[in-house]
Amino acid sequence: MKDVYILAGTRTPFSRMGSDLAHLSASDLGREATSSLLTQTGLDPAAIDEVIMGCVCQPADTANIARVIALRSGIPQHVPAVTVHRNCASGFEAITTAYERIQANRGNLYLVGGAESMSNAPLLYNKSATRKYAKLGRARTLTQRLQALTSFRPKDFSPIIGLKVGLTDPVSGLNMGETAEVLAREFDLTREDLDAFAAESQRKALASQEERAQEISAVYTKSKSIATDNGVRADSTIEKLATLKPVFDRNTGVVTAGNSSQITDGAVTLLVGTLEAAEQHGLKPLGRLIDYAHTGCDPKRMGLGPVKAIAAANHRAQLSLADADLVEINEAFAAQVLACTRALSTEGYAQQAGLDSPIGQIDQTTLNQLGGSIALGHPVGATGARLTLSALYQLQTRQQKRALVSACVGGGQGTALWLESTL
Amino acid sequence: MTSTYQNLEVFIDQQQNIAHLVFDRPDSSANIFDQQTLEETLEVCQALAAMRSLKGLIISSAKPNIFIAGADLHTLSQLEGDEMTHILKLGQKMADAIAHLPFPKVAAINGACVGGGLELALACDWRITSDSSAVKLGLPETKLGILPGWGGSTRLPRLIGLPNALPLILTGKLLNAKSALRKDLTDDVVPKEHLLNHAKNYLQHGFRTMPTFPTLHNPLSVNFIKKQAKKSLLSKTRGLYPAPLVALEVACSGVLASHEESLANERREFLKLSSDPVAKNLIKLFFLGEAAKKAKVADINPKSLEPITDAAVIGAGVMGAGIAYWLTTRGYPTLLKDLNPDALASGVHHVRNLYRSAQKKRVFTAEKAQHGRDLLSATTADVPLAKDLIIEAAVENLEIKKKIFATLAERARPDTILATNTSALPITEIALSTPNPERVIGIHFFNPVPRMPLVEIVRTEVTSEDTLARTLQFVQKIGKTPIVVKDSPGFLVNRVLVPYLIEAAVLFIKGEDPEQIDRAMLDFGMPMGPLRLLDEVGLDVGMHVAQTLAEAFPDRMHVPTMLQGMIDSGDLGKKAGKGFYLYEKGKSTTINPAALQYQTDSIQIGSRSTIAKHLNNLMKDETERCVNEGIVQSKDDANLAMILGTGYAPFSGGPLD
Repeated sequence: MKDVYILAGTRTPFSRMGSDLAHLSASDLGREATSSLLTQTGLDPAAIDEVIMGCVCQPADTANIARVIALRSGIPQHVPAVTVHRNCASGFEAITTAYERIQANRGNLYLVGGAESMSNAPLLYNKSATRKYAKLGRARTLTQRLQALTSFRPKDFSPIIGLKVGLTDPVSGLNMGETAEVLAREFDLTREDLDAFAAESQRKALASQEERAQEISAVYTKSKSIATDNGVRADSTIEKLATLKPVFDRNTGVVTAGNSSQITDGAVTLLVGTLEAAEQHGLKPLGRLIDYAHTGCDPKRMGLGPVKAIAAANHRAQLSLADADLVEINEAFAAQVLACTRALSTEGYAQQAGLDSPIGQIDQTTLNQLGGSIALGHPVGATGARLTLSALYQLQTRQQKRALVSACVGGGQGTALWLESTL
Repeated sequence: MTSTYQNLEVFIDQQQNIAHLVFDRPDSSANIFDQQTLEETLEVCQALAAMRSLKGLIISSAKPNIFIAGADLHTLSQLEGDEMTHILKLGQKMADAIAHLPFPKVAAINGACVGGGLELALACDWRITSDSSAVKLGLPETKLGILPGWGGSTRLPRLIGLPNALPLILTGKLLNAKSALRKDLTDDVVPKEHLLNHAKNYLQHGFRTMPTFPTLHNPLSVNFIKKQAKKSLLSKTRGLYPAPLVALEVACSGVLASHEESLANERREFLKLSSDPVAKNLIKLFFLGEAAKKAKVADINPKSLEPITDAAVIGAGVMGAGIAYWLTTRGYPTLLKDLNPDALASGVHHVRNLYRSAQKKRVFTAEKAQHGRDLLSATTADVPLAKDLIIEAAVENLEIKKKIFATLAERARPDTILATNTSALPITEIALSTPNPERVIGIHFFNPVPRMPLVEIVRTEVTSEDTLARTLQFVQKIGKTPIVVKDSPGFLVNRVLVPYLIEAAVLFIKGEDPEQIDRAMLDFGMPMGPLRLLDEVGLDVGMHVAQTLAEAFPDRMHVPTMLQGMIDSGDLGKKAGKGFYLYEKGKSTTINPAALQYQTDSIQIGSRSTIAKHLNNLMKDETERCVNEGIVQSKDDANLAMILGTGYAPFSGGPLD
């Protein structure tokens, strides 16, 4: 096996849906992150073997968005590009795909990452309207045209919200928030537990603005320099969070907008390659990808994804939770992260999540130390790459050795990566 | 068809009975109409006319990017009197001969088809063009002080109607394939691979039935159209350029006269215009510009030079952003760097705004504009600067610039050209503060960068020939006209321009009416009055350059202390909303009453022409000194630079003519 390194990385700031970066498309965001990375490293883009980008809401006007981003960023035509989609782990998928390409001797330098503009998720016509528009398009005579026109009904004009259907699992029929409610019920999590976790995420994010700045490259747009994650709240408290109404189960639910991840725009890019590639291009590696695992679970309980993924990654890397100096578990929902930590450490909950027995305790002081997606936002296609980038910078800043990063995946999967700092 | 021709080839497709006339000037990338080509074309027509079996003629070019680039200006500009009349008659006869051939004619145009080239195409029944970006159609004669004299002024209005034809004839604007189709100048646009086959399809259409435009081409309408056009022409040219006005008369009377009368009219007026000094000056200027665009450094083969492929611009102010915009429009990946994130953000915004307005004006398609925007990257960080060229456009402060160049020298590659856009600071001193002074040079753009065609290339005593040659080639590649000048305070253009502006301000302070001063210079032929221009530049900026110049030439230039009052109270010009004039939303409204307070006297030196003479003499004398001191290589260079860099009255031929 070859050693595979993360050689460099950067990201755009993450901006709440409809805010600072809302007017940029996913390919605009991807180009910003890619162009910043190329500028900072001074890398000759012709040396890249392939561009691999994650994107979940792949926009209709940019099929294979990775190729569009690559060309728009000045990466020469001869470098191929592929878009990958493992839902919320698409950013991870880009990294592990590069890892596999390198192991298979396909190349030694990959530009990877993820880009997502959730602000630009489309509104769709429903099936009935689509059929009627098609009929109108085929109509040749005036009568046919009139017939087609008069067949429209008011309900045909109420659109399907792309983002809403995108965040709904078509197999179980539950939307992501509803799967979080399932976990809250089954893992005995109270509203107070979730709000306390969310407030803590906000607090940590607010306290770490400066540390996170090293991950971020400013986006210059509309005469402003956008350089900070704008989902972070200075005024978030448990008390304030307690006043929010549950979103997915109005009566008895515990999952609110405040203890869920935010809907956000952003992009991340990383260079993944071998040590030879690093030397050849004068890059100083950030860290090594030790090993990883993608695993499946019940779509109704997709939030438990990290549990089995971490177990599998531990097995592959021959490491245990105690070996992790820091842990990043994506905060899709407070309920889901807390359910995972309970499942990993507690008899009974462990079996509920499909483990034979608990595999260890995550030291809460090492978990998501800069805050997580509850404060920073979760641009689905990009988050995996952000977690990786952030974990590597944190290891460097704290002079630590190993990090475990993981995320749950809509549709019932989990991904976990073991990373090692190259100090 | 036995004789062979020098400039063209004729062959008959025996199967289809179609004649092909292919222009192919030997040892040249362009086809042009000189006397011999005209005679050969005429001869071919006479021969073809006798061939009864022919079903059509297709006229094309063997050159990849040019159909026919027009008349041979070099010869034409030497001709006078009878010789000129002869060539005019010959051109008209050639076009008529084409038009009178007893079968349909198609011009298959794949490239530039301008002036005489278009006049030939207009004599055909049909014109079809390829969709190549090299396709340009138009009649640029009036730009050179003459008019379309081989039937163009007569045929174009009859083909597309007077109201459509006049803008083309009067402005000399060239159209791309798409616009030409919209204006009916061409009948179809097809991919170049299908051009000839499609031309054959057009032969099937037979002769063209010419439109008659009864509602437009009658005395009443023509009179009205002429009046309107004349009004707008006079407001644009202030009557200083006779050619468009004469062309207007010829075109308007042409639609009401017989073909022969109109041709005679073209000849007569062309002859008059061509002997006018205005035409001579404009043609000379055209040649000077063309020469500057092709100039090279002696003994260096441009092909042997390492080309510049990417660039960084340091400083995201108006100039830096303007330069970055221009480079990206020309396909160069450009990094814009500024230490201040807000300044960088507004610089990037400026570039995007320029793209937005260019896209609105259809200079770029949406895709081209996006590509240009994408070529720009921006950073505030100390990133690697392994570029071919770095242009510094930071604040005009020698110590700051020296510091910047010290870090640039460290971060750049050893072969990176380090350029400064300074408008007055000593570049030699900057160069000598770096470890490799031979690769430091001045590339002085003018504001606004997208509109100003001139770039002063400033060589120092230590600039290497290779650096100079690569820079010259780069400036030519980005479509600007380079003039090489020596490193000396103000170089050429600012050294001449700024004292003129300051003197205009001094006249104002002494009591002259500001509008009188500005009007005087507009009448003289400057594109903008000096006080208005000073408002655009900024009084403080003008003063700064004036101070530099005063230090360098203490015997004849002085810091105009009387302007300090206006600067102190913030009447700096457009950027402050008030200078000599008041500005609202960037538009000037009236004279700034506060500025009038600074008038210390009520001296008026006389009529507008006296003012103009006084101010122009300043420019003349200073330009002369620059030539004598060797700041520029020649009088011609100085004239060209002043015209392109300041808008100095082009019809006059420049300050030294």
